[in-house]
Order: sequence, then structure tokens, then C-alpha cells
Amino acid sequence: MASTDLVHAHAAPQGFIRKYIFSLDHKVIGLQYYFLALIAVFTGMFLSLLMRIHLIWPTAQLPLVGEIKPETYLGLLTMHGTIMVFFVLTTAPQSGFGNYFLPIQIGAPDMAFPVLNMLSFWTTFVAFVVLISAFFVGGGAPLHGWTGYAPLSALPNAGPGQQLGADLWITSIAIFCVASLMGALNFITTTLDLRAKGMTLMRMPLTVWAWFITAILGLLAFGVLLSAGILLLLDRNLGTSFYVPLVVVNGQVMGHRGGSPLLWQHLFWFFGHPEVYIAILPGMGVASQLISTFSRKPIFGYRAMVYALMAIGFMGFMVWGHHMFMSGMSPYSAFAFSLMTMAIGVPSAIKTFNWLGTIWGGKVRLYSPMLFAIGFVSLFVSGGLSGPFLAQPVLDIPLHDTYFVVGHFHLIMGVAAIFGIFAATYYWFPKMFGRKMNETLAKVHFFVTLLGTYAIFMPMHYLGMAGQTRRYSQFTEVAYQTKLIPLQTFMTYAAFVTIAVQLVFLFNLFWSMKKGEKASDNPWEATTLEWTTATPPPHDNFGGRTPVVNHGPYEYSVPGAARDYTMQTDPATAPVD
Amino acid sequence: MDAVQVAIAEQVAEQHRHHGKAQFFWVWGALLAITGIEVFLGYQNMEPVRMLTILMGLSLIKAGLIIGYFMHLKFEVSRMKWLTMCSLVFCLAMMCIFFPDAFRILHLGVK
Amino acid sequence: MADVAVEQHGVAAAYEPSLFGTYSKKIGMWLFLLSDSLTFGALLYAYSYGRISTPNWPTPFHSESIRNATLMTAFLLTSSLTMVLAVRASVFGKGKAVRGWLLATMACGTAFVILHGHEWSNLIAEGLTLPVFPAVPGHEASKEFANVSRTVPQFPATFFGLTGMHMLHVTLGVIYLGIVALRKKFIPILLGLWLVAWLATPSYSPFHYGAHVLLLAAIAASVIVFLKPKVYDSSDVEVAGLYWHFVDLVWMFIFPLVYLMSTRIL
Repeated sequence: MASTDLVHAHAAPQGFIRKYIFSLDHKVIGLQYYFLALIAVFTGMFLSLLMRIHLIWPTAQLPLVGEIKPETYLGLLTMHGTIMVFFVLTTAPQSGFGNYFLPIQIGAPDMAFPVLNMLSFWTTFVAFVVLISAFFVGGGAPLHGWTGYAPLSALPNAGPGQQLGADLWITSIAIFCVASLMGALNFITTTLDLRAKGMTLMRMPLTVWAWFITAILGLLAFGVLLSAGILLLLDRNLGTSFYVPLVVVNGQVMGHRGGSPLLWQHLFWFFGHPEVYIAILPGMGVASQLISTFSRKPIFGYRAMVYALMAIGFMGFMVWGHHMFMSGMSPYSAFAFSLMTMAIGVPSAIKTFNWLGTIWGGKVRLYSPMLFAIGFVSLFVSGGLSGPFLAQPVLDIPLHDTYFVVGHFHLIMGVAAIFGIFAATYYWFPKMFGRKMNETLAKVHFFVTLLGTYAIFMPMHYLGMAGQTRRYSQFTEVAYQTKLIPLQTFMTYAAFVTIAVQLVFLFNLFWSMKKGEKASDNPWEATTLEWTTATPPPHDNFGGRTPVVNHGPYEYSVPGAARDYTMQTDPATAPVD
Repeated sequence: MDAVQVAIAEQVAEQHRHHGKAQFFWVWGALLAITGIEVFLGYQNMEPVRMLTILMGLSLIKAGLIIGYFMHLKFEVSRMKWLTMCSLVFCLAMMCIFFPDAFRILHLGVK
Repeated sequence: MADVAVEQHGVAAAYEPSLFGTYSKKIGMWLFLLSDSLTFGALLYAYSYGRISTPNWPTPFHSESIRNATLMTAFLLTSSLTMVLAVRASVFGKGKAVRGWLLATMACGTAFVILHGHEWSNLIAEGLTLPVFPAVPGHEASKEFANVSRTVPQFPATFFGLTGMHMLHVTLGVIYLGIVALRKKFIPILLGLWLVAWLATPSYSPFHYGAHVLLLAAIAASVIVFLKPKVYDSSDVEVAGLYWHFVDLVWMFIFPLVYLMSTRIL
């Protein structure tokens, strides 16, 4: 079926630079993204470690860092949030695994625009370097948190980190917007155009659906952040006042007047809420894929899963105001946002029930990828349940600036998405490197991480309800807050353990690349297209041919079939009369 | 992959060849005429909201002409028309939620 | 359109037919334009937001501004016409005509930018200015405009922000078309334009520094042209045209919102 002129457009590159640095191969680019995210996640984790240490030993003299001052704490907070949200949660699951596996799973030889793909990675890289450089300029990292609320972010004299550091922060975000835009349009075009024969929309694996819808969200959301960032740069450097009303800083009247900080919040969260789904949707796709594979059952309600993904993506654009109940926004729109936010729980619940329904009665194989997928569902539920609380303005107003919100979004958006990344790593590692990761270390990693993250983030809900405010660097001065310090101490110790076990993961990752058990082409007995090709996949993914798809993505335990899985490329069975 | 792209591009070009030249001149004339009307309206002493409504209505017509004829969307497959335009209009429409706050600031007298 | 899908079926037998029934580059450009229209959408919303929340929004544009802006609009609309004619010539394989129409489009685009730059300079000299723009030496600012800048800083901010972003898009569009029309030969022309724009503008003008956009674009363009030399075919012209029409489209909203809604009615 595949004629010769349909093989990959660009030949396999020869030299080191074209092969590993400026590669056009989506698989290499996917790995580049993955390792960039790995560097970023350990950087971000180190920052969070410093914050946790500071919270219980505020005056400690740390090696290398010295004593952490309150403004340094805020700088750490900003950089932790920004690195984690943009360079880990957006980069690893979507750009990393999506780049590697989206083309393979739909039977394409590469992305639709390989050059754009390469540019997208290197632009992301530049954005990361620019962001990190904010630590090293005069004044240090910006203080305004990853949300960059104006007027704090718009006034260079509002704090020590608000000078060059904040400019670098905004520039980095703007560059990242451009990079994501390039990535997103590439993903969408590839999915629209390059599906192999027989790979109809309703035969695409749920991972592909998740990456596709995430890309649409990215396409529509990042453009708005870009213009919000441009206006913020104008406010900072050209003296305009889009976001700044008449303000007094340190007894000095600023030259701005007439702007509105609400505008920044609206524009930012118009991007920011879809961004939350950009982080979590790929994890949902991975969880669906893995739970079906390791339960040896078709996914429960495939179409419902697809429509739920679409509904989440669609409604993700209508709920951004729930981040702004505290902002003085019109109460009427707060009401509408509250309703929509509650409603978005419905497709999320559909997905959760379908995952559970898939596991129900399956022949579950508890390998490490499956454990992490179940961990994803667990964290998604426990993080998600506090969502309906925060969706109501009446409850949100007392809880919003407390640790309750910190616990909520870390569980659902932070750790759940990270569990999705771990699950994907353990699952696809044999395909990417030809070897399996060590299973014992993986299980240790899983259980300690699961218990550890719950131990860190569950108490935050209690702290929040007890009134402990977020973003404070020190609680020793306020009487009612000092009583909560033991709980903070417990969380810090839990963080030590959890971070230590991540080093086990890192060791396992690199050790298994060299020394791991050799894996076959289809070690998990899965059905999707990446398992039909060689390990690691050749330059054009399928060695000059284009696969022909005859089956849906999750045909496990089909009655009457010879084995308990039917590959997507298996010959179509003759219709039974 | 490239061969497919070239073949599709050739089909698209073939489709272009069947379009008459005259329609572009008509569209161009209509756009100029609407611009003239807009400038004329700009000098009418009208209540701003009413003027804004009329101007935006005319601009939407112009946008429709440009997208439909110049950008060729009218002749694309209906799936492309609907998916692109609906997602765009939906997102832009959602942003209108900004405006109650802008009015509110005016009302509350916060500068 | 059904026949297109069927024919494609024959060609692309190894793949499912494209969902949007057209080639990838065009889909990519459309997706970029969707994103870019949200960027401009957000800017226009920011403008509207500022305008609604500011009492007594000034309406200072005199008839010469409006006349100028109308002329600019006419140039932009005409450039769209020449652009579709270029696309039309390219599908018939008339290389020379394509180049001619593209150059005409670029000429209209350049006229737009020059008229707009002239307008900016006039307004800045008259006192409608941002805090960072240096005062124009030897020119008395008009009381009216200086007053607007002082009391409603939102007005110059939104004006320069919106039209500046659009001007940047037009400039990049002209360069894009230049590369499609003349390929390598356009680089020296672009460098020449940069020198002219840089040296011919006085040092207090924002265009004195803004001209360096041309230099950056020239560097980026030379990288593209030398790394990937190719003859641009009708699909490239069509994709470039999409971008150009989009820039035109955005102006159709900026012009009434920024200019016509702020005319001085005598």
C-alpha cells in the first residue's frame, strides 16, 4: 500500500549536531523537551526545598545560599511556580511525550512541520535560560508569583526583584508563548493531516486525543498571554498605564493613572485557566491508555472519554473568573463563573468513573506504570474534591489566600500531572531506550512519592482552614499562626523524604538506559502503533512503510481472539455471519 | 509525505483556477465603499454606543468579506469553516465578560 | 468541495484524507492566524476596557488625521486586492505577474507604514506622546494634545500600543512578501531600507530605534533563505497571502475603534 515516494521527506541525519542538537526528528526533539523538563523539575524542586526549609528555620544559615530573606523567599516562590507550570507541566507531558509519541501513534513519519518543531524546542530553551538568568541580575528574582499580578509586577520600584528580574520574567514568558504557539499548531496540523490509513478519529488512542485537545487549548490561550505580557512590558518600560492605577510606592506618587489591575487578572487567567488543563489533559490521556492496557480491558466508554476531553477543553475557557473572586470583579460574573466551574466537575467525574469502570473486573497487572496511573486517579480525585469548595465565592473568599488553595492546586495540577509524567516515563521507557526500568526501584519510588506527596499537601488543607496565609515567608511573629508550625515542620520532613526518593528515580532513569533489562518490541502487550515498530523506532518511525490500521486502540480480551490483545494493525477479522 | 502535499496543493490550485477574477474587484469595491460609509458615520453626531454598534457591524461585514473571499474560506471544506470560525468567535465572545468590570470601575469611581 | 476530498483519497492512499481538505502549510498558517487574532483581540479588549473605565474619553482626531487614516485604509485594501491577484497569477504559473503583483502589494504596504509613521511623528510633535518618547526639539506642542496625554494617559498608551503592534505586523508582512517575491535578492534591499529608515529619522523619533526591526528581520530572513533555498510555488504565495489579508483584517477593526470613535466633530 505504501508507495516509495511516501516515505519520510528528510533523510536520516549524519553528523552529531544534526542528529542530536538541531535535529528535525520528532523523537529527538521529544527527548530534548523531556530532558529540559527534567532539569527544570529538579531546579523547581530545589527551590521548593529551600522554601520549606525557610518556613520552619527562618534564620538558618544555609550552605551556598546563606540566610533566606523574605524577598528571597518570594523570589523562590515566583521562580518555583513559573518553572514548574511552564517548563515542567507544559513541557514534559505535551511537548515531550506528545512530540515523541503523537506521530508514531497515528502512523506518521514525523510532525507536519519538522523545522518549526526544532525551532519550538530551541525557543523554549531560550525562554528557560532567560527565566533562570533572573536569579543572577541585580535585585534578584521577581516577587510577584507565577501569576505576576499588577500593579506589583508593573512597577520597577515596587521591590528588589521587580527591576530587571521582572523584565526577564515577562520576556521569558513571552518567548515561551511563541514557542508553545509553534508547538501547538504543529500538533494540530499533524493530527489533522497525517493519520495513517484506517486511523479514523474514533480510532485514535486517548493519548492522541488528549494531546490534540491540549494543543488547541494552547493555540487559543497563549496568544492572549502574549498580548497581556506585551502590555505589561509597555507599562514597565514605556510608562503606559494599562494595569496601573494611581499608586503611591514608598511615599512617592507614581506617574501612572487610570489603569486597572483587574484587566491583567482577566487577561492572565483567560490564559491561566486553560493552562491548568494544558497541564492535566495529557496526564488524563496517559492514565486512560495505561489503565486500559494494564487492566487488559477496553477503556470503559471510549466515546464518553473523548467527549469529556472536548467538554473539559471547551468549558476550560469559561471558568477563568474563579481565580478572581477576591479581586473585586463584578458579582454577577462571579456567579456565572461559579456555576460553570461546578459544571466542569461533570466531565471530570465522567472520566474518573470511566477509569474506575475500566479497572473493575479487569485482570489488573500492577506494574509501575499502572501504579502511577492509579496514583494519578487518586490524586486527581483528592485534589479535585476541594475544587467544588473553591468554586463557590462564599467559601473561596475565606480560603483563597490560604494554604487550602496551595494544597488544592498542588494535588490536582502539580502532583497529579507529575504522576502522569512518571507513568508515561515508566510505560514508554522501553520503547524510547530499548530497556526496561528497574521495577523494584520504581515501586519504591511510587509508594514513597504517593505517601510523601499526600503527607505534604493534605495538611495544607487544614492549615488553610485554620487561617494560615500563603506567600508569607515566616510565621513566627503571629501568635495564632505559631501554633501551626508543628504541622509545617511535619510537611518539611515529608518533603525531605519525597525529594530524596526522586533521586532514586533519577538514578533508575540513567542506570536503566545503560544497564536495564533488554525489552522486546512490545513488552506490555499493548495495542497501539508505537508497539508495532522497532525499538527504538527508526528515523521515519516505521522503516519506510506506513501502517494500515484495522482496529480501535483498546481491543483487549476480545472474545474468541487468539491472545488477549489485538494490535491496531492486526488484519481485520472476517465479518461473522 | 511531500508528494501528498504537492498533490493536494495542485488540487487547491486547480480549484483556484475556476474562480472568476471579477469577484475580487467587486469585494474590493464593497470594502472601499463600506470604509467610506464608516468615515462618513464618524462625523455624524451620534450617541457613542449606537455609533459603536453600527461601526462594529460594518467592520464585521468587512471582516466577513475579507475572510470569505480574499482568504478563500468560503471555498474551503465546511469542517474547516466551522471549526476555525467557531473557536475564534467563541473565545472572543468570552472576553466580553471583561466589560462589566470596566463599567463597575467607572461606577465605583476607582481610578 | 466533495470532489476535492475524493480526489485526495486517490493521491493520499497511505493516509486518511486531511480533515480540512487542504495542504498542511495552509492549515498551519490558519492556526497561527487564529492565535494571532486572539492576541489582537486581547489588545482590542484592553483598549475597550480602558476606554469604558475612563470617564471623558477624549476625541481629539482632527480631519487631517482621519483623512490620513482613510488613505491608509484604502492602501491596505488595495494591497489585499493585488495580493489575491498575485495568488491568482501564481496558480496559473505566471511567475512574472506574480512578482509584479507581490511588489505592488509591498508598495501599498510600505505606503501604509510610511503614512502611519508620518502620522505618529506628527502626533508626537503635537504632544500626544508617551512618557518615554523624548520631546521634539524646536516644536511647540499643541495644548490640546498635551492635555490629553497628561489627563488621560490611556489614550496615547492604547493608540501607540495597538497601532504599533499592527505596524509591526505590516512591516513583517512586507518583508515576508519580499522574500517570497525576490528571495535572496531581497536581503540587500531590506538592508538598504534599514539604513534609510535608521539614518533618515532624527534621534528623538521612536522610528530611529524601531528601524532596527528591519535589521533583525534581515538577519532572520538571510538565515532562512540560505539554509533552505527554494523556489516558492503557488502554495507559498497563497499562505503568504493569508497572512497579508489577516493584517488587513485587523486594521478593519483598529481603524473604526481607534480613529473613527475618537474624531473631533466640529
